[in-house]
Order: sequence, then structure tokens, then C-alpha cells
Amino acid sequence: MTKDHNLKVILGEEKYNQIHNSKVLLVGAGGIGCELLKDLVLLGFGEIHVVDLDTIDLSNLNRQFLFRHKDIKQPKSTTAIKAVSGFNFHNSKLVPYQNSIYETDVFPLTWFDSFDLIFNALDNAEARSYINKIGLFLNKTILETGTTGTKGYVQATIPGQSACYDCTFRETPKTFPVCTIRSTPSQPVHCVHWAKNFLFSSLFGEDDDSVEDNSLEGKDASELGTDNQEELQALMKESNELIELKRSIVDESFEDKVIEKIFVKDIENLLKIEELWQQRTKPTPINYTPEYKAEILKITKEQLGTGQKLWTLEQNLSVLISSIRNLQARYSATTPIEFDKDDEDTLDFVVASTNIRSHIFNIPLKSKFDIKSIAGNIIPAVATTNAFIAGFSSLLSLGIFNNPDAFKDTRAIFASEAKDRFLSSGELDHPNPKCSACSVTRGVANIDLSLTFRQLIDALVEKYGYDEEIALSVGSKILYDLDLDDNVEKSFTELKVKYGDHLEILDETDVKGTVELYIETNTDGKITLPELVIPDKPKPVEEKKSEEDEDDDDDLEVFEENDEDELLIVEEKSIVSSVGGKRKLEDAEDNEPKKVKV
Amino acid sequence: MSALMKARLQEERKDHPFGFYAKPKKDKDGALDLTQWEAGIPGKEGTIWENATYPIQLQFPPEFPAKPPKVKFDQGFYHPNVYPSGTICLSILNEEQDWSPAINLKQIVLGVQELLDTPNPASPAQEPAWRAFQKDKATYQKKVLDQAKKYAT
Ligand SMILES: [Zn+2]
Repeated sequence: MTKDHNLKVILGEEKYNQIHNSKVLLVGAGGIGCELLKDLVLLGFGEIHVVDLDTIDLSNLNRQFLFRHKDIKQPKSTTAIKAVSGFNFHNSKLVPYQNSIYETDVFPLTWFDSFDLIFNALDNAEARSYINKIGLFLNKTILETGTTGTKGYVQATIPGQSACYDCTFRETPKTFPVCTIRSTPSQPVHCVHWAKNFLFSSLFGEDDDSVEDNSLEGKDASELGTDNQEELQALMKESNELIELKRSIVDESFEDKVIEKIFVKDIENLLKIEELWQQRTKPTPINYTPEYKAEILKITKEQLGTGQKLWTLEQNLSVLISSIRNLQARYSATTPIEFDKDDEDTLDFVVASTNIRSHIFNIPLKSKFDIKSIAGNIIPAVATTNAFIAGFSSLLSLGIFNNPDAFKDTRAIFASEAKDRFLSSGELDHPNPKCSACSVTRGVANIDLSLTFRQLIDALVEKYGYDEEIALSVGSKILYDLDLDDNVEKSFTELKVKYGDHLEILDETDVKGTVELYIETNTDGKITLPELVIPDKPKPVEEKKSEEDEDDDDDLEVFEENDEDELLIVEEKSIVSSVGGKRKLEDAEDNEPKKVKV
Repeated sequence: MSALMKARLQEERKDHPFGFYAKPKKDKDGALDLTQWEAGIPGKEGTIWENATYPIQLQFPPEFPAKPPKVKFDQGFYHPNVYPSGTICLSILNEEQDWSPAINLKQIVLGVQELLDTPNPASPAQEPAWRAFQKDKATYQKKVLDQAKKYAT
């Protein structure tokens, strides 16, 4: 095709051909993945394989531009490929997979090994860590990306040379116990979470909309924050009544029913549970009478002022009523309404109900502007950020291809909200010697699963010179150690070890470093172990204990790692970004707090 | 299980304070499950909790060490800061309070031991022990001593 010409001129014939003869893997076809696929196709990568288990959802359409309304419920992988086929000017071979990346029968290690480069466009840390490990097993470079709102990063992982994905510790978003949200809020953020994720989605969301964060089933006392049976029963009753309430959404009296139930009756019910209020200030239900409502309805839009203003209780009630009326008019069972901070009706509803609840529980009220930023941050996906982060990822890949000096030549790129510099770039970090992922020695073992652990232990002792004091484990299961020798005569199959498992060998005498073997299998009665150079385990330096070393007040949290003089400073998340209950929403926006080494 | 979580929990298998025990539980396949532990907390000498070792169960979530383990005594354990389900109300075990990823098992079990004889009446988790501790020390002592007999070592 003639379109080749420009690209050849820009990249040079040699680079163009390298790219054109390469085979790459793209993991994820969501926010970043759609952008990246477009970029890779336009750069003319020879073969692009795309893995995504998900199907397309309405909420994807505002940033996953390869998808249209008609594609809803279709697989992301095949749909994305169909969409880019229209501009596949370099005739890239495009291969979709609607599978989970963890499926070792579909994606065995040899399959990963067939790619020249792996592009991550993932939405969660677990999958990133899994691909990271695959990269470490195969010595394969990964281009890793992530975004949160207007922040984002692109970072290459070059095994043996650069830091890996797990070299830095990541905090996970804070979660609030259900009962804090549902019955005993104490901060504005609790009320925002309640208004948006519980109340709004229960009333206007899809019927089966998962309010799973706030449901009580399958949770234990510490997640719930209580095991007061009376309280749990009250909450259960509340939820059931809410479902009832939703049925009257078309009634004219809906607004009164909502207010009377949510801000009067539910609160009265909570007040009956005395234990809840022994150590807490009691909430006060509002006094909602026809006369009071008449006063409320007199409030004009002008009186509400700008979004920066703090509204009174009455002003909040007036906003609530008008937003309910608007939402009622828009609602139909087939097109449920999703909260969107830029959808005035949904925002007004959440702002007003947040503030009314705050008032009831003696929590400071917040302006519409403040609540918008708290509620809006919960789904931090910005199409533009995804686009340019994906763009950088594709451009950086050009410099990594067939480049033995990639570690030196590649830059990590960060987009931040810093005033003076929107983008920053830096050299790749060196591996963290204490990283529990890349400090492990890795290899591939080939094992007949009908053999016994005894046979493996003998082989390990012979091959690597262990004495018998080792612990063998797969994932969270320790299958053998000196005190657990009743398993030695069992076969791998009996112990549920299978193809694709990662078998860890821990030297309990603390001499050799940890080894992890990827298990491939045969039926020839053989155990074949890889040639490995196992370094000695680094000697632990004596811990200097400073128990009282707690830091409060400033916004930096300092962890002292076990040994050496290395401090890791984690920027503590602001309260705004810690409203993370729904963090796992469907996109590739999983950026973690930045880590600074000093 | 993340590589960090695994390394941390493997490390926790050694070095427990004197008088304590802590180990992963055996699952139905005969393997040890690193996410489910049981530990024993000896009551401090010279307190009404002495001469007994109180078993606790620790459950490590997939996000450990970013999130704390769930720690429970037996159901119905008598202590003002233990929920009827056995769940322990202790700030270092609470993500919103003092949990930090640097906290290790040793600090947790020592923290639980400390809590035994120094309950915090400001955060009651169960009615009977909390009320007795506040208003009826004799009953409280007797109940604690009875419980110590049950867990006598
Ligand atoms: Zn690493």
C-alpha cells in the first residue's frame, strides 16, 4: 500500500522493516488499549495480538473510541480489531483473544515467548504483576502504562537491567467499612460515597446495578465495621425498602417518599439502636412537613449562587427536589441513569443528598464544587491522558526494538499535575535488590505430574546442591517443608500442582536465594530442571529498631524498610483520592502513588 | 498472591516472641495455607490473663501488606474490645487508623497481648465485658479468670 512511504521515510527503511517483521502482544483493550492498538497499527507492527476478556459497556464509550453504541455487549478484543481494520494500511496481522490472561492453557509460557515485546494496557495491579513475572521468566521487555485522571506514566521493564513493576510498593485505595457508610458516617467523604454509590445507584441505576460495595452479604465484621445484629438488620430492611421505593419512581409523590424514608424514617430506625450512639453524637432526622416544603419550594435558583457557596439545609433540600424531578422525567427502566459529575441532575442529587445527610449526622457541609471534586475523582479516567500515554508507549517502543542499549536509551515518562511541568521523564530505575519479584532466580522446569515430591526434592538436591531443608510452595500453599513431610510421597497431581504454576523453592537454611520455577509438563516420567546460577541470599543487616518513630501531621508517610539506610517515602493520598470503593471500574486507570527514593 | 505478600508471609514463619506460636493452617489437601494462620497469645504474667494461651486466627487479604490481616479470637471471647464474633478491635489492625505495611506479625501478636490486660473502654465491641469492666470489676475478673482456665497452658 502506498501509505507505507511516509512511515518508511520517517522511521528509516531498517527500523520500518524491523517493526514490520515484529510480533507484539497488547494486553488490554480498554481506555489505554484502544488508543495503543490504533497507534501500533498505524506504526505498522507486523503482528499484533490483543487480549481482553471483557465485553463493551455503555460507560466505556466516552473514552474507548474504537467502540460505538451498537457494540455494547460485544467482546472488546474482536471489536477493537474490527474497528482498526479500516485503517490497517500496513497490513498488520491482527489476532484477538477474548480470554483471561491467566489462562495457561490458552496462553502458555511458550506463547508469551513468541512475542518481541509486550504492551501492558491493564487496569489492575494483579494482572500487571502477573505479566511482570512472565517477563521475568522469559527475560522479555514490557512497556507498562497507567493513568489516573490527568496523571499517567509509561515505564519499560527490562528484566535484569531495569526495575520491575513490583520493585516499588504500592498502596491500595482505602476502603470504608460498610457500616461507616451506611449507618455511622463521620466525614463528608463517607456521605459522598453513600450518596453516589449507594443512594443514587439504588434509585436511578440499573435494577441489578451492583451496589456490592455497600451490600451486606458475604462480608464479615471487619468489612462491615460492626457485628451488631440489630444494626445489620436495620440496614437490610433499609435496602429492601429502597427497592420498594424505586417502584414508585413515576409517582408524583416520589420526592416526598424519598425524603421521608431516607432522611426521616431510616434515621429514626438507626436511633432506636442505642449501642450505636453511646460513643457517638446522635443523628437528627429532618422535620419534613408540608409547610416546611412550601418554604423550600420558594427558594430560587439565584439564591443558590455559585458552586463555591455553602448551601443551607433548606437550599440543599430545594436542590434535591428539583434534581429528583429532573431525574424522574429522564428515567426509564431500559435506560438507567449513571452518575456523571458533568451531568448536572446527577451531580445536584448527589451534592444535595450528601449535604442533607451530613447535616443529619453533624458533619460539616461542603460546597457543590468540593463535592463534585470528591465524587468525580472516584472514576478517574480522562480520554486525553489515555491517548497521550498510549502515544508515548508506542513511540518508546521504537527505541526499544532491537536495541541492546535500550536500558540507557529509554526514558520513563510521567504526566503530573505539577504547575511548572506537565510531563517529566527520567532514566529507568535500577532493580530494587530487595524486590520480592525480580530478586528471585527464575527458570522453567519440565515435570511429569505423576511423579512424587520426593523425586523432585532429590532432583533439586542433586542439581542445585540444596540440603533437604527447603520449603516448596505454589502461590499461597506450602506443599513441603521439613515439618510437613507427610506430602513427600504424594504426586504433583495429588497436590494439585499443574501446568503454569510457579513453584517456589525457599532455602530454609537461609543460604541460597529464592528460586521460582515455571512448571511445564511432560508424560515421559521425567523431571528436567533448568540450568540456574542461584546467588546466595543477601545477609540481613541487624535491624535498628526505633519503635517510637511515628510521624504524623505532615503528608508524607515514611516506611523504614527492614535493613539498609533506604527510606521509601510514599506520598499519602489525599482524602479525595482515597474514596476508592469503586476503583476497579472498567478502565486502565490504575496509577499508584508515586514512590520517592531518598 | 503478590510476590511481596508471599515473601513477607514466608518471612513471618520464623522468629516468634517467646511463649507465642504462629503458623499457617493446613488446608484440606494437606498443604499449609499462607493466607490463613493461627497463633497463640500468652496472657502476661502477673495479670488476670496469665497461665493461659489464647488462640487467634489471622486471615491475610490479597492486598496484604497494603491492608491489614483480619484477626479474631474464638467466637464469644470475653473482652471489652472484642466483637461477639471474636473480631479484635485494635487500631494497628485498622486500615483507617494505625495500620502500616511495615507492621509485622510479631508486632501484631504483641499488640494483641498488650490489649488483653489494658482494654480501651472508649471503644466497646461487646456489651457484657464492656459493662462489667466499667461497672462491676468483680464479675469482670471472675469471667476473665474462668476464661483463662478454659485456655490454660
Ligand atoms: Zn523488581
